[in-house]
Amino acid sequence: MKDVLRILLAPLLWLASFSATYGLHGIGCALGWPEIALWGASVFRVALLTAWLVAILIQVAILIVLHSDRFRAASAFTQWASLATAWVGLVAVLWTVYPVAVITACGGNG
Amino acid sequence: MTALRRHRKLSAIWSSEPGFRGWFSSVNHSDLGRMFLVTAFFFFLVGGVLAMLIRAQLATPHSAFADAGAFAQFFTMHGTIMMFLFAIPTFEGLAIYLLPKMLGTRDLAFPRLTAYGYWCYAFGGSMLLVALVFGIAPDGGWFMYPPLTGPLHSPGINTDFWLIGITFVEISAICAAVELCVSILKYRAPGMSLDKMPIFAWYALVTALMILTGFPPLILGSVLLELERAFGLPFFQADLGGDSLLWQHLFWLFGHPEVYIIFLPAAGVISTIIPVMARTTLLGYGWIVASAVALAFLSFGLWVHHMFTTGIPLMGLAFFSAASTLVAVPTGVQVFAWIGTLWKGRPEMHLPMLHIFGFFFTFVIGGLTGVMVAVVPFDWQAHDTAFITAHLHYVLFGGFVFPILAGIYYWLPLVSGRKRFFRLGEVAFALIFLGFHGTFLAMHWVGLMGQRRRIETYDAETGWGAINLISSISSFIMAIGLAMVLIDVLIHAFVAVRGGRNPWKAGTLEWASMSPPPAYNFASLPHVTSRDAFHGDPGLANRLAKGEGYLGDPQSARRETLTVDIATGDPDFMVIYPGNTRLPILMAAVTGLFFLSILIKLYWLTPLALAGVAALALVWVWRLGARTDAGPQDAGRGVTLALAGETEKSPGWWGSVFLLVANATFFGSLLFGYAFLWTVAPGWPPQDWLAPSLVELGIGGAAALTSALAMRLAIRGNRHRARPLPGLAFALTATLVTAVTFAMLLSRVPPPDGHAYAATLFVLGSYALCHALIAGLMLAFAIARARRGYTSPARQAEFHIVSLWTDYLAVIATLSLLAAHLPGFLA
Ligand code: HEM
Ligand SMILES: [Cu+2]
Repeated sequence: MKDVLRILLAPLLWLASFSATYGLHGIGCALGWPEIALWGASVFRVALLTAWLVAILIQVAILIVLHSDRFRAASAFTQWASLATAWVGLVAVLWTVYPVAVITACGGNG
Repeated sequence: MTALRRHRKLSAIWSSEPGFRGWFSSVNHSDLGRMFLVTAFFFFLVGGVLAMLIRAQLATPHSAFADAGAFAQFFTMHGTIMMFLFAIPTFEGLAIYLLPKMLGTRDLAFPRLTAYGYWCYAFGGSMLLVALVFGIAPDGGWFMYPPLTGPLHSPGINTDFWLIGITFVEISAICAAVELCVSILKYRAPGMSLDKMPIFAWYALVTALMILTGFPPLILGSVLLELERAFGLPFFQADLGGDSLLWQHLFWLFGHPEVYIIFLPAAGVISTIIPVMARTTLLGYGWIVASAVALAFLSFGLWVHHMFTTGIPLMGLAFFSAASTLVAVPTGVQVFAWIGTLWKGRPEMHLPMLHIFGFFFTFVIGGLTGVMVAVVPFDWQAHDTAFITAHLHYVLFGGFVFPILAGIYYWLPLVSGRKRFFRLGEVAFALIFLGFHGTFLAMHWVGLMGQRRRIETYDAETGWGAINLISSISSFIMAIGLAMVLIDVLIHAFVAVRGGRNPWKAGTLEWASMSPPPAYNFASLPHVTSRDAFHGDPGLANRLAKGEGYLGDPQSARRETLTVDIATGDPDFMVIYPGNTRLPILMAAVTGLFFLSILIKLYWLTPLALAGVAALALVWVWRLGARTDAGPQDAGRGVTLALAGETEKSPGWWGSVFLLVANATFFGSLLFGYAFLWTVAPGWPPQDWLAPSLVELGIGGAAALTSALAMRLAIRGNRHRARPLPGLAFALTATLVTAVTFAMLLSRVPPPDGHAYAATLFVLGSYALCHALIAGLMLAFAIARARRGYTSPARQAEFHIVSLWTDYLAVIATLSLLAAHLPGFLA
């Protein structure tokens, strides 16, 4: 089971951080965070960027851990597959959560 | 013992009852897989006839063939039947039939569960058929959006048929998924490590995991909507704190993954057939596994892209647009791996290959129009036009029906042991291919001209008449093609000449059993050393028949197989299966009674039916196990194994783990719904919160935790002193206290039909109460087992299963209590 988890872990955490960021975005909009200024941006933006950063760090950490001697998989195949999905997780976090950096906060689309 | 005597002996042990009586008592995966497939194709025919009715109506402007009400039933039932009663069960049937053979073992993990799942499917599907026949079928479109499907807009029983019938069928999907996960991970031939698994098994594993996490949100949605319709709990009514968007979220949390749940098994079929037809090995096995996993996960991040037009904030849209483009990558990886495989081999043009080409052609077009739809501004244009319907059929028909037809023609010789001799299949393919593209290219076209989907008629001035007529005529050509496939298969199954073993010279193990395969699959189990176990070793089949593998020595009348370590494939335990029984069909019938009682509002029957299910479940598990320690067993080839009941992590434990994964998704979706309504729905905060109580919170939480800890004590007591009873009794008491706390909570909740908040709390509390009662029942069962001598320090498997459920209770009870009391404290 550990080997299966190894393969599933990174995308699972991507899904969790993706949903969490989306949820945070919903909560932020509901509570009016975009209007509260903080460090030259809004609380909203700072919170979401932080969430993105944390998500990226988690994925990087997984990659490092999977490379480490202690946690690498016993079989070459599992090692390969888990590294592949770990990269998928990292790319997915970078790509799917980047809107927090560029899109306006809570505007609707009419 | 000669091969023939061994065959007779094994057949006597494994056979189902002869004749049609066997249908009701069989628990054999080959029988049930075939029954699943036949039933699924029956529903394909029904769905196809409905499609023909739709096309007949749309062929000309101002058609008077069907009125708006009937037409709405046609398209709703067509979509519903195709998605839930054809596509998913076809996957289940294929996997149930093939996997044990491919994995080199004798049956799936839980044979009786296979049968239960089948009967739930058959009964639930029949409910929908009855509705169709009497003209009271669901008519709200296959995604059933409220408020259209709410109590105000559709008061009739139509919608209830959908919510209840589909939930019933989904039980069968969950059963099959649990079973497939455990079977693929544990029930393989010795030596088959993860990297030696046939690629189809990987796809089936990923699909099964997706069913476990994709279906619970829809089940929850259906439960909530039915509660709203039957008892007025306002989850989707804006004036009482509900929000119809919640349904859309729950539905598409399921609905988008559903598309991949349908596609991935088909991709598994393609990945299996292509290398065989190209006389080579699959290119990029590891890449394909990784991209199937990636696809599965990414597809869960896409649900909102079906809601682009519902006024979601722009940033939310951007998330999902980005994720939608990303899925193209793993899909592309697989397509390139297939093309590469064809490239490196010498493809031979057999009939299955024709359908694979049909798939390639259609699926690529579907992918292109999909990218168009994923671009948000285009979606606002095309939303709800025939363009969308056409796109969806390119993906579903191209991505599922063509590969499945390829699979049918590929595995037919295995199932029947015969050879095709007419060339009917080629003609059928041509008709299907031309008919399909004629139908749906035309529908793309009228869609772009502005024809909306789900309209029952249109004016002659629109100029859509000619194109629609082309579409309809083409669809009839396709229907003739599909009918010819059916005839071809029937001829094949009953009158074709006998063929030899392994006609395609494939390398996977299913071809190493006899064809048609015997009830026990393999007279002895192989030791697998390579991915294409059968390729370099043509003598394997004979050696297995001669009993030279594992378990080749059928001594007593036991149905034996063995399990392996998940990663390495080393044999770890021996399993003894239960025999033929009518318990599954009985239990499915009583489960059906439960659903029926809600459907026709016979509420006095509901608790009786539930009690019946619980009683049968107890009989079900009571029949397993033994009253003496069996000790190590000889598994052949010098291997001795313990029985699975004498371990910590038995198959039942693994099954519970996967069932709890689905269960936790259900619970998580409920918490999501709570948070969603709170933050998004109008009419919050509610007028009054549940009066918070530290006492209730403290006692309930402590009791649930205690029951989990006491269960551990029971396990230790059993292991060291063979005395599980004190711990069990302690745990039972704690569980009952938990149940009482939740009963009190429920009695204090504000009237649940007044506000969505109270309604949600009511569901949350009932869920926890229900789990406390389940855990209590399991503990009582464990006590009875221990007192009757069914357990010992060795025979401990059942305690570990119960422990999983008390742990789960501790988690959800704590979370539910917090969710119920915290808002009151904060306010
Ligand atoms: C056998 C050939 C098929 C034909 C001729 C066909 C035809 C149609 C037509 C004409 C509609 C449009 C109804 C409308 O919006 O006016 C439709 C809807 C639909 N079809 Fe098919 N179809 C076929 C097979 C399939 C298959 C294999 C699937 C899924 C696996 C499928 C799933 C759906 C769904 C989900 C809808 C949408 C229903 C709704 O709007 O609620 N169809 N089909
Ligand atoms: Cu989608």
